[in-house]
Amino acid sequence: MAYLTLSNISKQFGDTYAVRDFNLDVEKGEFVSFLGPSGCGKTTTLRMVAGFETPTNGAITLGGAEITDKAPNQRNMGMIFQSYALFPNMTVAQNIGFGLRVRKLSKSEIDDRVKEMVSLVNLEKHVDKYPYQLSGGQQQRVSLARALAIRPDVLLLDEPLSALDAKIRVSLRAQIREIQKRLGITAIFVTHDQEEALSISDRIVVMYDGNVEQVGTPFDIYNFPQTPFVANFVGSLNTAAAEVVDPEKGLLTMDDVQLVSAAKMDGLRKGDKVRIAIRPERFSFASDGKKANVLDCQIENITFLGSVVRVHILIGKTKFTMDTFNYPSLALPQIGDRNQVTCSKEAVLVLNEENSNGQGPKG
Amino acid sequence: MSTSTASSIAVKTSTVKALASKNRFWSGVIFLVGALYFLVPLATTFYWSLRAQKDVLGFEAYRRLFADNNFLPAFSQSIANAIAAILISLLIIVPTAYWVTLRLPKLRPVIEFITLLPFVIPAVVLVFGLIRLYSRPPLLWTATYSSSRVLLVCVYAAISFPYVFRSVDNGLRAMDVRGLTEAAQSLGASWGTILFQVIFPNLRTALLSGALLTFAIVIGELTIALYMAQHTLGPYMADLTRSKVYEPSAMAIVAFAITWAALGIIQFVGRGQQAQIAGGH
Amino acid sequence: MKSSLNTDSKVANSTEGSAKRPPRLHIAYWLGVLPFFVFSGFFLIAPTLVLAFRSIEGPQGGLTLDNYRQLVSPTVLDAYGMSIRISLTTAILGGLIGFLIAWAVSIGGLPQPFRSLTTTFSGVASNFAGVPLAAAFVYTLGRVGVITALFKVFGVNLYRSGFSLYSFMGLSLVYLYFQIPLMVLVILPAIDGLKREWREAAENLGATPVQYWRSVALPVLMPSIMGTMILLFGNSFGAHATAYALTGGLFNLATLLIGQQISGDVLHNPGLGYAVAMGMVIIMAISIFIYSILQRRSERWLR
Repeated sequence: MAYLTLSNISKQFGDTYAVRDFNLDVEKGEFVSFLGPSGCGKTTTLRMVAGFETPTNGAITLGGAEITDKAPNQRNMGMIFQSYALFPNMTVAQNIGFGLRVRKLSKSEIDDRVKEMVSLVNLEKHVDKYPYQLSGGQQQRVSLARALAIRPDVLLLDEPLSALDAKIRVSLRAQIREIQKRLGITAIFVTHDQEEALSISDRIVVMYDGNVEQVGTPFDIYNFPQTPFVANFVGSLNTAAAEVVDPEKGLLTMDDVQLVSAAKMDGLRKGDKVRIAIRPERFSFASDGKKANVLDCQIENITFLGSVVRVHILIGKTKFTMDTFNYPSLALPQIGDRNQVTCSKEAVLVLNEENSNGQGPKG
Repeated sequence: MSTSTASSIAVKTSTVKALASKNRFWSGVIFLVGALYFLVPLATTFYWSLRAQKDVLGFEAYRRLFADNNFLPAFSQSIANAIAAILISLLIIVPTAYWVTLRLPKLRPVIEFITLLPFVIPAVVLVFGLIRLYSRPPLLWTATYSSSRVLLVCVYAAISFPYVFRSVDNGLRAMDVRGLTEAAQSLGASWGTILFQVIFPNLRTALLSGALLTFAIVIGELTIALYMAQHTLGPYMADLTRSKVYEPSAMAIVAFAITWAALGIIQFVGRGQQAQIAGGH
Repeated sequence: MKSSLNTDSKVANSTEGSAKRPPRLHIAYWLGVLPFFVFSGFFLIAPTLVLAFRSIEGPQGGLTLDNYRQLVSPTVLDAYGMSIRISLTTAILGGLIGFLIAWAVSIGGLPQPFRSLTTTFSGVASNFAGVPLAAAFVYTLGRVGVITALFKVFGVNLYRSGFSLYSFMGLSLVYLYFQIPLMVLVILPAIDGLKREWREAAENLGATPVQYWRSVALPVLMPSIMGTMILLFGNSFGAHATAYALTGGLFNLATLLIGQQISGDVLHNPGLGYAVAMGMVIIMAISIFIYSILQRRSERWLR
């Protein structure tokens, strides 16, 4: 049985559904991210797990016991807030020890545990400082130590990195993941940044408008998006309108250009209008004959992004972007040239927007 | 699920919800007791004001009040004093706040200190000093009623500085005065244009707030007017309390209504302006 | 600031065409703030300075602290003592009650309309002080007041049991009418400053609401609460109009004493009169000073 389960969770505010029919089984020690844009319901769901909101429907269980209506101060979960929420009248050490004082541990136990946590987050030199004397990244580390000090069953993180500078964000998320792995704590991480979610999660729950769009590993989410929203939200994507020619052979036509796709086109017939999607990095100039799609294109523009070179091409009547790795001896075509790009048939995703049920090769 | 778990969960549910309603209950009690304390004196005063005519509930007291020979002159003097004080205060504070914000930020602590003075110097002490200072040549400003009146208005303006300054200062901050000034300058505007076409129009709410607060201060002021022998509303009301039985209650209700109106206008207008600024962004 | 001035002069040069030397601009700025200083000087600072100098002036014209030494005479001590008693009482009571009311309309869970109503009314009530307030209480709890009569109906004679509107108790009761609203208005923003996340973090770590208030909320609010109580103290200490209207100026209060001294030399010593006035200024200054320090501390935490 899964360690933390959410079954048929929904939350209504008046007539609007903030969260609709949320189902998730989380294993012990797993790091799950809730990913989605503002207003998609990810924070509301997290707060229901924490106990700050009560679900309108559904149940939450932890280790087999139902906790849906349990008061937040009885759940033994550690929460990290976007705004750090450190108690301003307490030092770092006092903040970290707060949960332990509430649990009435002995002074020596508290001191030992605080010391352990402080060294876990590398803040030995700041133990007696007050929150206003610390930087954002330091405050968030105190927040992490404070939550971990009580040895929580689940760690809940509500966009903990959104308020921090880009560089700190990257290093701190790695630290969080490392600590989580080391301690084996189950964690739920809410974010709107897909790069964050992709880089540190065991699994990702992509949400939109209160609904779960897809649940899967970062690899699956990125390479085999199941809905147009997921395909668009995670990673960049080229999409275009196309028409089915032969569903069994995977043939489509886009602007009179023939495409071959490996996608299962169950339920589609000749003449159906669909949307196809191709990730920019799946194109290449190489013509090794192995790729199913060889497409004529015109080079419209070339942008240099550092490690990646982005080529804007026109296939048929549709604009596409193509990303290719930069290296010193790269031979780039000129703007205005006519050229050919190739991509495999697996790279061509078919998104049937009407059913919101796009299909990749593995389904 | 076992029944014991269900009942323990039920207990916990009721604990969570019970806490919120327990809070609300006590809030209600506190509010009720407070409301009683604040409303009873108003209610009894209003009741008294309706009983001037024997055995009849009517507005006789109000009629007598407005018919009193001394009421209208005192009232109009107070209104005129208030308007004059408001004008002086605004004309002095707005440029001061503007220059301090834009060009002389080092002066800010000094100015803020000075605006604290009316709190540190109680009215009765201030009028004490005023009389001693201005009752002798060469600064003999308390010689005549009119000159004393001018002095009074100037003092009222000075006393209103803290409120008007804070109001205008908040208004300047809300309108990003530096940004607007620099934008206007880059488009070629002179100082006059900037002040009158950019700054003042955007300060309308702050000015109104400051004006109404000054009005509330001046209209019923007693201490200074009394010792400067001015026949304004404050001393008139004090006299009324000693000489008449029913009219003071009508007076109190009228004073309350005027103050409520003035502050109500501030709230009302203030809300609208804020919405405007938010919309603009 | 230097760089901004340079830019400004450059801009001014370009908009005004001809080259204006910076000193001219400086003068223009100072001209803008001059009226403020002139006004404050003549009508706030100078009168106070006059009192200050006269208070250390001896009868023959030399400098002396005698007048201050005489502050310990019975009349003055009585008056100051009563003022301090009333101010302490209304500061503490007003502070507590005001805090409870502010709590009730913010975190306490009462719906929004209660809060706007309370803030508007608080603004009005704190301005209601003076003659109208005194009159209202006379009609309520005076010898023939409505509530006094109501008590008599139930067999309780307030005035015979020792209560009097024209006493320490009565005056304190009346003063609370503008003290409580002042507390409400000043402490509401501070209570708003309590971040919701602090309560949630505390709950999440296992604390009960009581523990949260004791360990986090009250300590964080304490500078604000203390500071505002001190503000209340000063506010009461310097109040004159209400007491004058209520007692005809014949009660033993520091402000009323000064008022009497203005009308005539009741202390039989002009110098002492000035010392009494300056003593009051000194007490007010100290309280405002402590208030601003506490205010700064609370801002640091509640930002």
